[in-house]
Amino acid sequence: MKSSGSFAAVVLLSILSSACQPVLPTTRVHGLVYCAEGSPESFNPQLVTSGTTIDAISQHLYDRLLDIDPDSGTLIPGLAQSWQISDDGLTYRFQLRQDVKFHQTSYFSPSRVMNAEDVQFTFGRLLSVQHPFHQTATEYPYFDSVEWQQLVAKLTVTGPYEIEFTLSKPDSSFLSTLATDFAAILSAEYGAQLISNNTRADLDLLPVGTGPFLYRHYQKDVLIRYYRHPNYWRQLPAMEQLVIDIVPDNTKRIAKLLTHECDVAPIPRLAELSLLSKRDDFVIDAQTSMNVGYWAFNTRMPPFDQVKVRQALSYAINKSNILQAVYFGQAEPANSLLPPTSWAYDKNLNIQRYDPLLAKKLLAEAGYPEGFQMDIWAMPVQRLYNPNALKMAELIQADLAQIGVRAKIVSYEWNTFRRKLRLGEHDSVLIGWSADNADPDNFLRPLLSCAAAISGSNRANWCDENYDELIAKAVHTPILEERRAFYQQAQQYQAEQMPLVPIAHSKRFQVRSRNISGVRINPYGGINFTAAGKSL
Amino acid sequence: MKKLRLYYEEHNKGPFKLLWKHFTQQHFAFFGFITLLLLLLLAVLTPFLTPHDPYLQNSQLLLVPPSWQNSGLVSYPLGTDDLGRDLMSRLMLGTSYTFGLAILAVLGSLIVGVILGALSGMSKGVKSSIFNHLLDLALTIPSLLLAIVIVAVLGPGLMNTIWAIMLALLPQFVHGVRNAIQQQLKQDYVTAYRLDGASQRQLLLFVIFPNIWEQLVLMFTMALSTAVLDIAALGFLSIGAQSPTAEWGSMIADSLDSIYLAPWTVALPGLMIFVTVLAVNLVGDGIRVAMKKRREN
Amino acid sequence: MMFHYLLRRLFLLSFVFVALTVFAFSLGYLFPGDVLGNFTGLRNISPAEEIVLRQQLGLDQSYWQQYIYFNQRILDGNWALSFSSQQNVLDEIINVMPATLELASYALLLSLIVGIPLGIVAAVRKDKWLDKLISGFALVGYSIPIFWWALLLIMVFSLTLGWLPTSGRLSVLYEIPAHSGFMLPDILLSNVPYREEALFDAIRHLLLPSLVLATYPTTVMIRFTRESMLDVLEQNYIKTARAKGLTRLQVLYTHGLRNALLPVTRQVGLQFSTLITLAMITEVIFSWPGIGRWLIDSIYQRNFPAIQGGLLVVSSLVIAVNMFTEILHTLLNPLARKF
Repeated sequence: MKSSGSFAAVVLLSILSSACQPVLPTTRVHGLVYCAEGSPESFNPQLVTSGTTIDAISQHLYDRLLDIDPDSGTLIPGLAQSWQISDDGLTYRFQLRQDVKFHQTSYFSPSRVMNAEDVQFTFGRLLSVQHPFHQTATEYPYFDSVEWQQLVAKLTVTGPYEIEFTLSKPDSSFLSTLATDFAAILSAEYGAQLISNNTRADLDLLPVGTGPFLYRHYQKDVLIRYYRHPNYWRQLPAMEQLVIDIVPDNTKRIAKLLTHECDVAPIPRLAELSLLSKRDDFVIDAQTSMNVGYWAFNTRMPPFDQVKVRQALSYAINKSNILQAVYFGQAEPANSLLPPTSWAYDKNLNIQRYDPLLAKKLLAEAGYPEGFQMDIWAMPVQRLYNPNALKMAELIQADLAQIGVRAKIVSYEWNTFRRKLRLGEHDSVLIGWSADNADPDNFLRPLLSCAAAISGSNRANWCDENYDELIAKAVHTPILEERRAFYQQAQQYQAEQMPLVPIAHSKRFQVRSRNISGVRINPYGGINFTAAGKSL
Repeated sequence: MKKLRLYYEEHNKGPFKLLWKHFTQQHFAFFGFITLLLLLLLAVLTPFLTPHDPYLQNSQLLLVPPSWQNSGLVSYPLGTDDLGRDLMSRLMLGTSYTFGLAILAVLGSLIVGVILGALSGMSKGVKSSIFNHLLDLALTIPSLLLAIVIVAVLGPGLMNTIWAIMLALLPQFVHGVRNAIQQQLKQDYVTAYRLDGASQRQLLLFVIFPNIWEQLVLMFTMALSTAVLDIAALGFLSIGAQSPTAEWGSMIADSLDSIYLAPWTVALPGLMIFVTVLAVNLVGDGIRVAMKKRREN
Repeated sequence: MMFHYLLRRLFLLSFVFVALTVFAFSLGYLFPGDVLGNFTGLRNISPAEEIVLRQQLGLDQSYWQQYIYFNQRILDGNWALSFSSQQNVLDEIINVMPATLELASYALLLSLIVGIPLGIVAAVRKDKWLDKLISGFALVGYSIPIFWWALLLIMVFSLTLGWLPTSGRLSVLYEIPAHSGFMLPDILLSNVPYREEALFDAIRHLLLPSLVLATYPTTVMIRFTRESMLDVLEQNYIKTARAKGLTRLQVLYTHGLRNALLPVTRQVGLQFSTLITLAMITEVIFSWPGIGRWLIDSIYQRNFPAIQGGLLVVSSLVIAVNMFTEILHTLLNPLARKF
């Protein structure tokens, strides 16, 4: 009975004491908790495209040759101090910093600073089958979608801290590609160690980078723990610890914010923001974000191989209704894949009407006067571009019933969902895209090009020569006006062919406790805590 | 007019009347009984009673609060959910899902249980002994766990849930019926009938059953509260009824998203489950007490 | 005689385990999907590997032979891989099990501490207002859907008052090395500088889940103890003792309690299985990293090897605990022995 008595006493004590001090600051541990909406797929940004993974890993663990200034969107030096581009636009030469140290972790101790070998190691992996790590991953989705292997002809180390990229054709978006969160610099020395230990797969599981935080511990679906990188080459982060707490459920994430278990969390549901904005212990950061939520048809699957069917479905859905119910009116309706803030956005695009009668007529013309049966796959997770795909699917289901199309809603657990999606088992899917850089190519190519249909980010499995030609011409010309014209043609072509229905461009909202400062959200990618501070 | 009594005769009420008398004396139990009757009525008549289509979405009326709040609407007495569906209609329809299907599941299980229990109760020997031991073991596993096991095999879905719950409730019925029968078999009057030459079948149908049906009702109420809770729990875990089905448990799971903005969408379905289970338990307790009192008198 | 009884129980137990493994084995065939995948947990098996694996599992031989191989793998700890993490299912279960056991044991303890005294009080004060209050409370706790109750508590104590955290076992900022997997002992054994603070935090995390989890068993305990006590109080030996001039308290203490509490030991075993089941729901709501949440997640993910392994472990555990308390009960209570 003694132990139970003391247990009761402890319980009583903690009830009483917690009543006295409602919010308990953890005083002894100087750390910050970021509540993320999902587990990372890998610890190497080369292998992924998902925004969640990028948020969780890239800005914390890694640096890039170039960075994007979050305010102006221009390129600024990162690990590369300076660079020169040859007149023909084919050769890019970078001079690297000489004071950059890699992470010292329980599994790796660096013996030298970062140099050109590491850059060659990093980008060589994407380039050549001979690279010892090329085969350890099955694909490099982002780099495949920009056709990296065709683009980069040669990679030459021209000095200990100097490296040269030779392109096979001019590409005006090349520097932007190097500045994306995917182009993280890895350690060649670590690679060599893994080869000698014969544990190559660890390159993507136990990360070593040069970023402000270093890897400490990861438990899938639970948390990632980072420690401060004590030898970071820029200003040291203020936080000793950064914990990414993985909370897939939106409601629980808000609950954790309210109880101060989270310091910062992305909140895709704008409805709750009004609630949080009433409390003065929270700050809401809104940021225009480059993203699009869309409804893609699997164009390899009949009847979605018919343009008229796709157009009919696009007329059948009541977009303003969806914007109201799913985004709570806080998103812009999308007419193109590109958000209106993009410089290549086509202002002359027709605004997509809601017209069930026209939809019925088109269906009849396509040979389906009685409608048909189809599946709508709704992603099971909440993302900025689509905060509640299931609800959106229910709305679309009701809309489609009006034109005689009987829709069934399908959803799987997220990993299964993506695997089945890649296999092309879907009829149509509600999903979206967050851009990695400011370049319009970053929307138009990964989402609809033939190369992306193979690498998997083209959920419509749409492969159209005309479209591919337009976006290829656009990157080959250095003149901005010409590029814009090509992109506008591509957008119009897409609106006419309708392989996917763009639905909304959402803002990005981040909620943080008032005592947290210095959190930076990059409109083109991940969140950054290097400058974050916490006052008690 | 009062009946004229010529002789003094001992006036004995029938056992059922006695039970009913003892039962109605307990106000709470009687109240529970009335509630159950109302719920049953609702479960059957709900298609004719719902003020709105429970599945009709109305994007103009998202998350309308209940009408007792300032911004509520009279035509939506309990407000709407996050897709603009009338919550009252959904709750009413939920009665036939959560409560109605629970009754069906328990009835089905009861019938099979009575047959199996009778078979096992009337038999003896090694086979029966092994069967009984297995049954005892199956009894120690909670029905919800069994249901989760079965749903794990069959896959999620409302119908699978019902099958699972029927199967999961079976052991307790078989056990209960068997025990009740065996208790009766020991009674003197049963032996008397047996000596009179009654066959096993006659014994069971005409002698034993009339004496155990009250126990069956008691078992039924206990199983019913379990079944309602299990259906709702599986729906809540999203391995039972799937959205948009208006099952109470899955309605709570669906509305969790709006818990901050519209707490009533979570609170009301939960309240319905609570009230239903409470009513069932009140009736069950009431019958138990009534039976005990009748025995004591 | 006692020996005989134990032998029979042991025989029954082994029989049950055989039945369980047969069930788990047949799940490999019952689950949708490829049998080979279900048994190994491997994905994208190449044709060459498939031949080797088929031989290893004995898939070309009789079911009987396959079942033998299956049991060997179970005993060797060579369990299937989880579809989602590609790790040995047994390792994962060992990882998540302590969290559930810890939560369940605190809840059980709580239900005993609260339930038994209240049950006794209610029985002693039968039909008085105190009994009615306690019985009413028990009936409410018995009828409340646990997930709704949990949500109500979270809304009040976490979201409105901000006193208690809503999820997990410990604030993620604390880093406690896992020795036993049980949080409180692990914290006490660790030598981190923030030990007291972490302990306090862990208890705060425990409060709501154990309260929620304890609600149902507590009410069952109250009802059961009350019934049991009432039964005992009606016995003749109690009346005799009273007639001999003992006071109420004396009677209660020397004759009543012991006899009334004996059946309660049996109840503890039954409560354990209820707790494990309810823990699944509690864990899902409070994001408690235990086997319940793990199993429910596996069901969502159609992670068949994990479901198979999880069910085997959970049901074995439940049955073993039940059997154990039943034996214990029989040993303590001569009346329950039906030799």
